[in-house]
Amino acid sequence: MNRVLTMFQRWPFAFAFLLALMLLVLNLIVSPSFLSPARLPGTLATLAPFVLVGFASTPSILAGGIDISVGPLATFINCLFVAILIPAGLGDWHLAAPIILAVAAGIGALNGILVAVVRLHPVVATTGMLFLLVGLSLTIAQNPVAAPDNWTEVFAGGIGIVPGALITIGVAGLTWFALRRTAFVSNLLATGESDVSAYGSGVNIKAIRILAYTLGGLFAGIAGIALTALVQSSQSSLASTYALLGLAAAVLGGTSLAGGRGGLLGALFGAVSIYLLQQLLTASGVAPSLIQFAYGAVLVVGVVLGATLLAPRLKRNPS
Amino acid sequence: MNNQPSGLVLAGVSKRFGATRALIDGDLHLRPGEIHTLLGENGSGKSTLVKIMGGVHRPDSGTVTLDGVPVTSRSPRAAMDLGIATVFQEVLTAGSQSVLENVWLGSHGTFRRRLGRAAQRSIAQDVLTRIAGAIPLDLPAGQLSLSERQALCIARALVRKPKVLILDESTASLDVSSRDRLFVEMRRLAAEGTAILFISHRMDEVSEISDRVTVLRSGRSVSTMERSDLSINRLIADMTGSSGHAETRRQPHDAGDTILQGAAVRLAPASTPIDFELRAGEIVGLAGLEGHGQDQFIKRLAGVAGGPGSVVRLLPEGAAELTERNGDALGVAYLPRERRGESLFESMSIRENFALPTLGKDRRGGLLDTRSMARRFDAFARSLSLRFGAAHDAISTLSGGNQQKVLLARWLATDPKVLLLNDPTRGVDIGTKREIYAILHLLSAEGMSVVILSSEVDELVDLADRVLIFRDQSVFAQIPHFELSTESIVAAYFGQKSEVHT
Repeated sequence: MNRVLTMFQRWPFAFAFLLALMLLVLNLIVSPSFLSPARLPGTLATLAPFVLVGFASTPSILAGGIDISVGPLATFINCLFVAILIPAGLGDWHLAAPIILAVAAGIGALNGILVAVVRLHPVVATTGMLFLLVGLSLTIAQNPVAAPDNWTEVFAGGIGIVPGALITIGVAGLTWFALRRTAFVSNLLATGESDVSAYGSGVNIKAIRILAYTLGGLFAGIAGIALTALVQSSQSSLASTYALLGLAAAVLGGTSLAGGRGGLLGALFGAVSIYLLQQLLTASGVAPSLIQFAYGAVLVVGVVLGATLLAPRLKRNPS
Repeated sequence: MNNQPSGLVLAGVSKRFGATRALIDGDLHLRPGEIHTLLGENGSGKSTLVKIMGGVHRPDSGTVTLDGVPVTSRSPRAAMDLGIATVFQEVLTAGSQSVLENVWLGSHGTFRRRLGRAAQRSIAQDVLTRIAGAIPLDLPAGQLSLSERQALCIARALVRKPKVLILDESTASLDVSSRDRLFVEMRRLAAEGTAILFISHRMDEVSEISDRVTVLRSGRSVSTMERSDLSINRLIADMTGSSGHAETRRQPHDAGDTILQGAAVRLAPASTPIDFELRAGEIVGLAGLEGHGQDQFIKRLAGVAGGPGSVVRLLPEGAAELTERNGDALGVAYLPRERRGESLFESMSIRENFALPTLGKDRRGGLLDTRSMARRFDAFARSLSLRFGAAHDAISTLSGGNQQKVLLARWLATDPKVLLLNDPTRGVDIGTKREIYAILHLLSAEGMSVVILSSEVDELVDLADRVLIFRDQSVFAQIPHFELSTESIVAAYFGQKSEVHT
């Protein structure tokens, strides 16, 4: 029992990982063809926006803040691409992708500046940004507009046998992995854990905070691409769906809202758990109205387990 | 000396926070290769001076130069880039990060890592071992003892190989063996040319390590003394602005009946059980190297920690076992060690902080009578000579020493017969310390019993009727009043029964 507890404390994402594994088995029992090669690309394409919005929520939480606007940022990027860039002739990937990522990162950076420099509370700053982005999305694409054939389709289908969704998730994951090899992630975790300690030790906490929100924005931009790949239309109405899913995925994955603990793997397993739960309930014929209830229950139980039972004891075990 | 003085020079530095003039005329010349102590009461401007050097604050006026070049640091980072490394008074660690990450915290760029992993490990291991002994590098820093975390903060400054090293009360939380190792390290660094600014409230440390001492009083530098001119009486006179040092050592006297009794109290499964009797009017000291059980023992006496054995309060009507909740009713008051985490309500006023546990006394017809509260507070404020602006100011506006007095008043207001104090003068200036000692002497003369855990040897010598020395979770020695001396206490810390008699 103690060994199990130690494992949970060492790897904050262990709970979400086991939950995802269990849900996967249940899904396979209910629907044996769940992982068949024919269904896999589609399944992953539906999963990708969840995972990426979870990724996008993570850096700001690790920095000791929170970004509520990443879901609406992803849908704003979707509307921007379908309703503005394509009609303006900027729809080619070598034009659109840099614009999308720059706009998304820029909006993230703006959040970061509001928090780190203007010193707004992160909830206030990013809630403001949320409404701003929802409003902008509605302005540029009030009703769904179907997208003509475009490069994002690849990410919902596949390249050869590689499902396209693995590319969007993989690019974000590799970016994080590369950053882990620099000092950035250490600085980020230290800032989130104790900004006073980090500042007093010489960490540039303003830069770290701004970069955390910028990185979240960048991931939200990739989420916007994955979303467009999936829906192939502008969907301003999806903003509210994704607004809190990202946070739910990150928190279920063991990332501490107090900052300083967690990572992208947690968000991955958290998002996978939420997605699999949704699939399981749908496949078992549960009423859609109950699905949200089930999300909520899983999230509360997950956070209670993570925050109380499995939280690290900050005392050395007497040996 | 040439016309461009080397080292760190502060001239006429001032700093004001709102209406408070924290620093009026700060002068300090820190030479390469010297260990220079900055001495002053709380509120004398020491911390402000340190924070100006460390890049946290910028002075309103005056100049700071390093080797003749003006220093205008806007952040600790900028100061570090100039070679000024500061170990701040607070023990600053990121608890869930590893020891290794904590040692190198802030040394890196935003993205660029300094040194490879292997070099980081070996340097960190080496520096930590020289101060604190072996600490596992991969352990989360939050699992370390306070002393080890303090050592970690010092190691963080040392791995930068600074030109100027500032240690702001860095020995306050260090255990004695780490402190001694730090002193060896400081001497070695000074011999290599590092300029070291040392701040401590412990006079024994100051006289042991300092090459020079600068005294600050009310925001001004009042004197700088060479080692050869050093005298504790003069330093105290300069700090307090008065001359003469009262002989504070306690006179032996008779104690009354036993009022608190511990029987077979065991602090760890394998440790020797402790029997303890506290008599009326006694002042008993508890001491030991950090983590040897004295902290656990005073918590057992207070009833805030449980375990094998019993602690009972002996009353005329019989014995009553102490628990976490009945301390007030049994006349036992406990003042915890950490002011910030365990005692203070930082956003509440001075008076509320005082009155909180005893609000029942201000009840008039079910409502709170603020005039009664004010009367009670004023009486204590006078008898403890508390220095404050207005009673409704936030407690955080007070200096550490005055905060401690408010907390002392809080528990004295419960009319205790037994007062348990867990390191009450930690981070308290020497003037306030002496006032607290005087209060304790007075209270014990009135029949109150005091148990005081202290990390300061001098304090125990001055204050206690007897001192229990803890080693390995048990009482190693009990030093009676006539044998109390710095030497006998420190010898017992290290497991030597002293044969010294006075």
